[in-house]
Amino acid sequence: MAAAALTNQLNALVNNMFAMGLLDDQFQQLQMLQDSTAPDFVSEVVTLFCDDGERIICELARQLEKPNVDFDRVDSYVHQLKGSSASVGAQKVKNTCIQFREFCQQRSRDGCLKTLDLVRTEFYDLRSKFQAMLQIMNRKAESTEKKKNCDAEAEGAS
Amino acid sequence: MAHRKMMRVLLVEDEEINRLELAQVVARAALKAAAGGGDDDLVLDEAENGAAAVQRVRDAATAAAAPYDLILMDKQMPVMDGHEATRRIRGMGVTTPIVAVSSDGLPADVEAFVAAGADDFTSKPLSKEKLGDILAKFRLA
Repeated sequence: MAAAALTNQLNALVNNMFAMGLLDDQFQQLQMLQDSTAPDFVSEVVTLFCDDGERIICELARQLEKPNVDFDRVDSYVHQLKGSSASVGAQKVKNTCIQFREFCQQRSRDGCLKTLDLVRTEFYDLRSKFQAMLQIMNRKAESTEKKKNCDAEAEGAS
Repeated sequence: MAHRKMMRVLLVEDEEINRLELAQVVARAALKAAAGGGDDDLVLDEAENGAAAVQRVRDAATAAAAPYDLILMDKQMPVMDGHEATRRIRGMGVTTPIVAVSSDGLPADVEAFVAAGADDFTSKPLSKEKLGDILAKFRLA
């Protein structure tokens, strides 16, 4: 697929993520920070968010299974998830983390478990869209590189 | 000829994702300053917690290297938090501007940072605009 078509596909996906309230303006800030000095900046940040999020959600589940829940520790993990969500512009996940921290303060295991289910669903939904986005970005980069090589070959032949 | 010097920034943040973003925001701001005839080179050091930050500042004070021009300090970190690190850095007599960068922006959080010795507070995420204001405030742009 040509780079232009992939760009359209990428824009449509990102616009849809904004329309669904999954992302906020911070994601646009990230896109603006990507330049020739850091061409993979967005994919690096998104990949870190996906890896961190999965690790933190697993840890939260483990903490909440314990007979005596350490709510300060749970809160600290939720704080981390909120921070990385805010960094990447993951609005829905970030807002759910805010609710989650309220349940931590109330020392409510039920509240924490319900919110964990919600944040898990939202995170994996967002992650699958981010993964689709990264695939398109990779294909676009490959397509651009291929065209550059073809142009260089054509120029060499003429 | 425009005055040019190196800007040394210490970034104190435990989360890798935040360090990556902050570093890019700072690098972009330094490029902009260079384009405007200001500081053209940037040395960006990173510390993963408050204790590492205190050590970095101590090393800079004892080495021949120039001291930091700016310290960006997170609040909640393992080993040593941002409040304690700020207190210890000020206790060493260091006058470098310390700007707290935290997602906890309640007045009590801001006051606690200022009481620890921070010069300013800004909420996360740090944008190019917010950093631009900070650099201008401390005459680093």
